[in-house]
Amino acid sequence: MLLFAPIDVLNDLLLRTGLSSDTIKFFVWPLIQIGLVVTLVALWVAYATYLERKISAFMQARLGPMRVGPWGLLQPIADGLKLLTKEDFIPDKADRWIFFFAPYIAVASAFIVFSVIPFGPDWAVIADVNIGLLLVLAVSSIGVLALILAGWSSNSKYALLGGLRSSAQMVSYEVAMGLSLIGALMFARTLSLSGIVAAQGADSIWYIVYQPAGFLLFLISGIAENNRAPFDLPEAESELVAGFHTEYSGMRWSLFFMAEYAAMVVVAAVATTVYLGGWYFPFVNRLQLSGHHNLYVLVSLLVFLVKASIILYVYFWLRWTLPRFRYDQLMDIGWKWLIPSALINIVLSGFAIFVVQALNGWRGIETIERLDRGLNLSATGKGIMIAIGLIGLFITAALLSRINWRSRDFNLKVQRRNIRLVNVPKGKPAVQAGS
Amino acid sequence: MSLVKTPKSTFAQKLKRFFMIDLIKGMGLTLKFNLGALTDKDAVAGKGIYTEQYPKVRPDVAPRFHGAPRLNMDPETHDTLCIACNLCAIACPEDCIDVIPMDVEIVVAGKPRRKKVLDEFIFDTSRCMFCALCQEACPTSCLELTQDFELATYSRAGFVWNREMLEQGRETVKYTS
Repeated sequence: MLLFAPIDVLNDLLLRTGLSSDTIKFFVWPLIQIGLVVTLVALWVAYATYLERKISAFMQARLGPMRVGPWGLLQPIADGLKLLTKEDFIPDKADRWIFFFAPYIAVASAFIVFSVIPFGPDWAVIADVNIGLLLVLAVSSIGVLALILAGWSSNSKYALLGGLRSSAQMVSYEVAMGLSLIGALMFARTLSLSGIVAAQGADSIWYIVYQPAGFLLFLISGIAENNRAPFDLPEAESELVAGFHTEYSGMRWSLFFMAEYAAMVVVAAVATTVYLGGWYFPFVNRLQLSGHHNLYVLVSLLVFLVKASIILYVYFWLRWTLPRFRYDQLMDIGWKWLIPSALINIVLSGFAIFVVQALNGWRGIETIERLDRGLNLSATGKGIMIAIGLIGLFITAALLSRINWRSRDFNLKVQRRNIRLVNVPKGKPAVQAGS
Repeated sequence: MSLVKTPKSTFAQKLKRFFMIDLIKGMGLTLKFNLGALTDKDAVAGKGIYTEQYPKVRPDVAPRFHGAPRLNMDPETHDTLCIACNLCAIACPEDCIDVIPMDVEIVVAGKPRRKKVLDEFIFDTSRCMFCALCQEACPTSCLELTQDFELATYSRAGFVWNREMLEQGRETVKYTS
C-alpha cells in the first residue's frame, strides 16, 4: 500500500541507526504509538468539548459555536489558547503543591488507561496487557484521588464539599462498574481487552446481545463515575458553585476539564470494547483477506472510534434529557439498585453459561461449537443465551423491586404529602397549634 | 401497617416504569430537536433553529425603532439639508446636540448679504435617549434617527459624532460568514 509506505521506510531508517531490532520493536515503536495516541486522544477530547457544545445547542434549537472557522470547527483551539493565556490563580492559604499537582493526577489517570485500549488490531494497540480491564478500572479510579486532593487543597468550602461528594459518588459507583463487567468477562474468559474483542470476534457476536443488563449497568455507573449529568452532583451550580474545581482557573482548570472528557472517552472506549465488539464490524475483515492489511487496521480503527463516539453521544443526549438527581436518590441508585442488579446479573450469566454447557450434547442439541479462548456457541446456544439475557432483565427488575419494596417509604416527597394523614382525623393538622 | 401511605401502582404503571417509557419519551424529544436542528438547511432562524445568527444575519428591528442619528443630504446636489436653525438643539431634552453655524457672504439681487449656514454639528450619542424629538423639530427633515443600532465604541470620545460621521454614517464591521 502506497499510503502506508512511510511505516516501512521509517522502520528501515530506525534499523540503520544501529539500534537492535528488539529495541525498535519494543521501545521505539511503542514510543511513537504513545505519542500518536496521546495526540489523537487529546484532539478527540478537545473535539468532544466542541461536540458537547454543538449537540447541546442543537437540542436547545440553537446552533452553538459558529464563528471560529467553518461551523466553529476551530473553537477548541481558540478555547485552548484563551485558557493558556489566562491567569493561573492560587487562592490564599491553599496547599500550593497539592493544588499544583492535583490536575496532573486527574489527567494522567485518565490518559494512562488509553495505553491498553485496543483501538484496532495489530499496530493500533499500544500494549496488550493480560490484566487490561483490571488496569483500566484501577487506574481510572485514581482519578478520585485527584478530585479529593483538589477539593481539599483549595481551602474553600465549595471545593471541599464538591470533592467529598464526587469521591463518595465515584467510590460507590466504582463497585457497580466493576461488578457489571464480570458477566461479560465470563463469556470472554480473559481480562485482556484485545482478548475480549477477539472472543467477540470468534463468537461473531457483540456481548451487548448476551448482556443487555450488564451494558446498561456499565453505562449508568460509567456516567455516574464520570460525574456527568444526570449524576453531576459534584458540580451542581446551584449548591456548590463548580464543585472541586471552584478555585481553579486557566490551564489547570482546563486540565480538569480534559480529564473529565478523557474519562468519558475511556468509559465509552471500554464499553465499546467489552459490549459493542470493539473494532469488529461485519465485512470489514474482507479487506484483511484481500491483502490490504494496513487499510484493514485503519478501517477497524475508524469503526472503533465511531462506536465510541455513539456512546459519547448518548452521554450528551442523556445530559440534556434528564434533570439532576437529588443526593439521596443518587446513593439509592448506586447502592440499592445498581450493585444488587450487577450481582444478579453475575448469577444469571453464570446460570446461562451453565445451562448452555449442560444442554450441550443432550438429546443431540449442540450449543457449544468450541471452547478455546472465548465461549463459541452455535446458533442454538446463542438463542438460549440471548433469551436468558432478555428474561434476566425482567428477573432483575422483579427481584430488585422485591429487595427495595420499602424504598418508597423513605421517599421524602411522599412523606411530606402523606405523613400527616396517618392516624389523624381528616381535616385536622397533625400538630395542634399551641400544643 | 406501613408508616406512610403510598399509592399502589397499577400493573400498567409498573410496566411503564420497567420499560422506562418516560425516559424514552424524553430522549425522543431531545433527539427530535437535535435532528430538527441538523436538517435545518440554511442554518439561519427558521425551522429547527430558533436563534438569530446576529453578526451574519442582521435582525429586523421594529419599524418605529430609533437608532443612530443621521444628517440627510439633498439627493441631487449632495448639499446638506440643514439650515442651522438650531431647533433640534432647543428641542433636545438631554441637550446633546450642538449646532455650530457660520456666516457666509452671498450675493442676493446684486447686493452682498450674509447667510447663516451649518459649519459643524455635534451629536453626543452617549447622552441621547433616542426620543426623536429632534427629528420631529427639524423643519427640513434633515436630522433623522435611523434603524442602525450598532453604536458601541472603544472610548467615550467615540460616542460624540461630528458632522462627517452624521452625514456619512459610521463604519462598522459587516460580517458575511
